[in-house]
Amino acid sequence: MSRLFLSAFVAGLVLAGLAASFWPLPGHVRYRSLTTVLPDGGRQEDFIIRWPDDRIRRSSETGAELPADAVTGAAVLEDSAGQRVSAETFRVRDTEDNVIGVASRMAGTGGAISDANRAVSNWLVVIPGRGAIFLSQPDVLDTTSRQRDTLNGVITLSDMQNPSFWNNRKEQRITATTPRNAGRILRGTGEFAGLSGSFRETWKFDGLNPEGRPQGRILLSTLSERIE
Amino acid sequence: MRWLIGILGLVLGLLAGTAIVLFNPLAAGSQQGPVQANLVPDKAFRMDDYRGMDPGLGSLLRGAGRSGEKALAAPALAKLRIGIVVLPAGNGRPAALAVKVSTLSEKNSLWRAQLGTLDYWNIFWPGEGSVFASGYSNYWPLLQDGFLDMLPGTDTVADPVVPLSAPPPAGELAGVNGAAGRYAGFIGEIRESLLMAASGEPGWQLSLKASPPPLGSQ
Repeated sequence: MSRLFLSAFVAGLVLAGLAASFWPLPGHVRYRSLTTVLPDGGRQEDFIIRWPDDRIRRSSETGAELPADAVTGAAVLEDSAGQRVSAETFRVRDTEDNVIGVASRMAGTGGAISDANRAVSNWLVVIPGRGAIFLSQPDVLDTTSRQRDTLNGVITLSDMQNPSFWNNRKEQRITATTPRNAGRILRGTGEFAGLSGSFRETWKFDGLNPEGRPQGRILLSTLSERIE
Repeated sequence: MRWLIGILGLVLGLLAGTAIVLFNPLAAGSQQGPVQANLVPDKAFRMDDYRGMDPGLGSLLRGAGRSGEKALAAPALAKLRIGIVVLPAGNGRPAALAVKVSTLSEKNSLWRAQLGTLDYWNIFWPGEGSVFASGYSNYWPLLQDGFLDMLPGTDTVADPVVPLSAPPPAGELAGVNGAAGRYAGFIGEIRESLLMAASGEPGWQLSLKASPPPLGSQ
């Protein structure tokens, strides 16, 4: 009897060990990186966001019956001095239109960080299985979102979502143009670790969707080289 | 009778084997210590408004469990969570707006007591600047507590604060490693803890220390 008990006990130990060794822990679905090696040795990778379709709604938002210039998936924090920060969340595509990750855009105005009527913004782009890349830039205009109280609650408004913003243009470069103020890759992790370089954010207008709301693409074009 | 003894031996063997894996002394001690000094305001916050992967153990072990969000229905985003967080003012610091993204770590290993997520933060203080921080949260202590709770006769008192931050897997960065505005060049540390709740979603606690780099490295 004791031999049977001992054999079964050892079998249990082995089974637990095998389960720990071969348990199929989940991983990420990954697409190959669509990077271009430039003649001077740099590396270019473009990330594309379709707006407003790629905005990630907050759980409290329905998205129904919003005015044309309202956005979903955004939040605003403003202090008593009028210094404002806004956050927007998106999903991100590669140049073959595969959804490969998510990104957040945070923009702030006022205080020590930006000139009047301009903002400073950060992008955090996270590609599951590859890592994250953190970008920072001075903007050519104030790109922060604003909030307004309505009968249906607080809504968030963005200039770029406003149809009148696109009356005289088809695209808008957001990154300031002077070399000293170019958009910078601050840091990367995982596959992006050790990369340094610049980036450019451009909003492109593709027309009005069937609901009469502007739609288009955000192009984040990164130029980097490995320094570490 | 023989069957009963066999089954009893098997079950006890399974329990003992699971306990060895869960409390493997060779893999213990991976949690990071608290951030030093009182430079760090501890921010407690809720993350009820996240989208994507459920923060429970099931999603880490099986990849299951997610909130319903059409925008995150893409296959590449199945094991990811994103949320906008307001970090409240306190301890002499103003409130900040933050975005936290967590992705399941592909280097999780049950033998190494690693069952966690890679976490990425972008925290922005109005009028001041922003920091970028990354870290690794290991949910292994919750798995240990869950196992102990299953055992009859054990009456574990759950610790209300469960430190999650752990040394990251090889090749990953942990800490405050990018900053802009007034904090440009700052580096530092970040720690996260889970605040256990008797019911509903748990709360979170964030500890952050960022300071200018040493003069020699500037």
